[in-house]
Amino acid sequence: MENIIEVTSLQKAFGASRALKDVTFNVKRGEIFGFLGPSGSGKTTTIKILTAQLKPTAGSAYAFGVSTEQLKSEKYRQKVGIVTDNTALYGRLNVYDNLKLYCDLYGVPYQRIGEVLRMVNLAGEERKAVSKLSKGMLQRITLARAFLHEPELLFLDEPTSALDPVNTKHIHDGLLHLKEKGTTIFLTTHDMNEAEALCDRVAFLNNGEIRLLDSPKKLRQQRGEPTLTVELADGSMVIVPKGPEGADQMFRYMSTGQLVSVQSNHPTLGDIFVEVTGRKLA
Amino acid sequence: MTFSARRIFAILQKDYKDLSRNLYVTTTLFMPLLMAALFGRMGMGTISSYYIVINMGFILVATYVQSALIAEEKEKNTLRGLMLSPASTMEIFCGKSLLSFIATAVVVTGSILLSNYNPRNMAVIAIALLLSAVFYVGLGTLIGLFTKSVMEASVVIVPVMLIFTSGSLLIPLIEKYPVLAVVEYMPNLQLLELADRVETGAGLGDTLLHLLVILAWVLVIHAVAAYVYKKRMVDE
Repeated sequence: MENIIEVTSLQKAFGASRALKDVTFNVKRGEIFGFLGPSGSGKTTTIKILTAQLKPTAGSAYAFGVSTEQLKSEKYRQKVGIVTDNTALYGRLNVYDNLKLYCDLYGVPYQRIGEVLRMVNLAGEERKAVSKLSKGMLQRITLARAFLHEPELLFLDEPTSALDPVNTKHIHDGLLHLKEKGTTIFLTTHDMNEAEALCDRVAFLNNGEIRLLDSPKKLRQQRGEPTLTVELADGSMVIVPKGPEGADQMFRYMSTGQLVSVQSNHPTLGDIFVEVTGRKLA
Repeated sequence: MTFSARRIFAILQKDYKDLSRNLYVTTTLFMPLLMAALFGRMGMGTISSYYIVINMGFILVATYVQSALIAEEKEKNTLRGLMLSPASTMEIFCGKSLLSFIATAVVVTGSILLSNYNPRNMAVIAIALLLSAVFYVGLGTLIGLFTKSVMEASVVIVPVMLIFTSGSLLIPLIEKYPVLAVVEYMPNLQLLELADRVETGAGLGDTLLHLLVILAWVLVIHAVAAYVYKKRMVDE
């Protein structure tokens, strides 16, 4: 599959502090790529370099086959959607007027406003003044704005950090819908459940370095125990080997109606992150 | 570089709605008109008194309102949203300048009428005022790009106002301090000199040099503003 983002030996220093040390990765067209790391690990710096808001100290970053510097041009801006902490809304205007401005800037018909508001669970809120919205609603409007022009490549920096579980689910459904339509999504998050629910591949970033990169499923399988935890009707938990040696035991639990639930003994992405970096995601 | 009228008018429309709900900035628009009405009733009919009011209009409306519009976009992090959109620098500049320019045209015209200023050659004065308005809007853009908030822009505007409304006070000092001769080339003094010459019967040809000096200021201020804007597109 074609790479839509290619990053090689990327480095960024702010004075003596090195935010990115030697970062190399690629993002394939149509995938959701998760960039996971705690605060200060270099996630936002990477997004800013990829969206031409920051110049790298060394290394290269390409998107659509051109240097990210060229993403400043209209041709590429039209293909890209960005939600970061420095893309805000106009507080004195209502929701509709905020989105209408971006419809005009991107050449999108106004009926898209209703569609994107439904995607972020804010249908019918068009006339509300932005200054009166909660932090979570503001975050959803910012996301709706990025969805307006159905970008080929969407950069999302902690897109659900201020949302409750119901609205997070809505946003996740919206992102999966965009992915189905072919949008490539570069997502930074420190929410492991979000990464597991959405991402085709994830990179663990710590202190400006990628420590691990693979699909969440593979990462968990590679580090899993070859056992299952079985919950029985009497409330006890039993560890059963996954191989043929455990088959008789499992058959016995099933045939006697003792089996309540079975869980594979894989670590969570959070566990793996702590194992690899020695740091918790927070 | 693209030039989309839809994008420019979208930014203008957004600015109009935003500004109309910003009492702090909109009240500023009435200051030059009040001064003009006062001057008109007091019967201060000298060219320099008319141009104190006109320059006040340029500074308070073209420069201050424009700087407030830009500084607020920076303060609220909305300017980056425009910068990251497909709108070109030219479209954003035009869109962001249009409201201040229109407001300046209305306020300066109103000030001229209220102060009973009737120039002998309205066409030449109109060209000079038009160029001056474009210069002062550019100055406002530059101040807005350098300041971090509307409050900071409100402070920075004070020395700018002193320089551009009372620059003529320095003229008597030029003989004593020749270095101050450069003051004569300031756009406000060029405008004043042009207005004086128009009252003595000068036409377009006679005042062309003054117009060219003001035009040079227009080009320089907008080139510098565009350079600073492009620098602001990228974080340090």
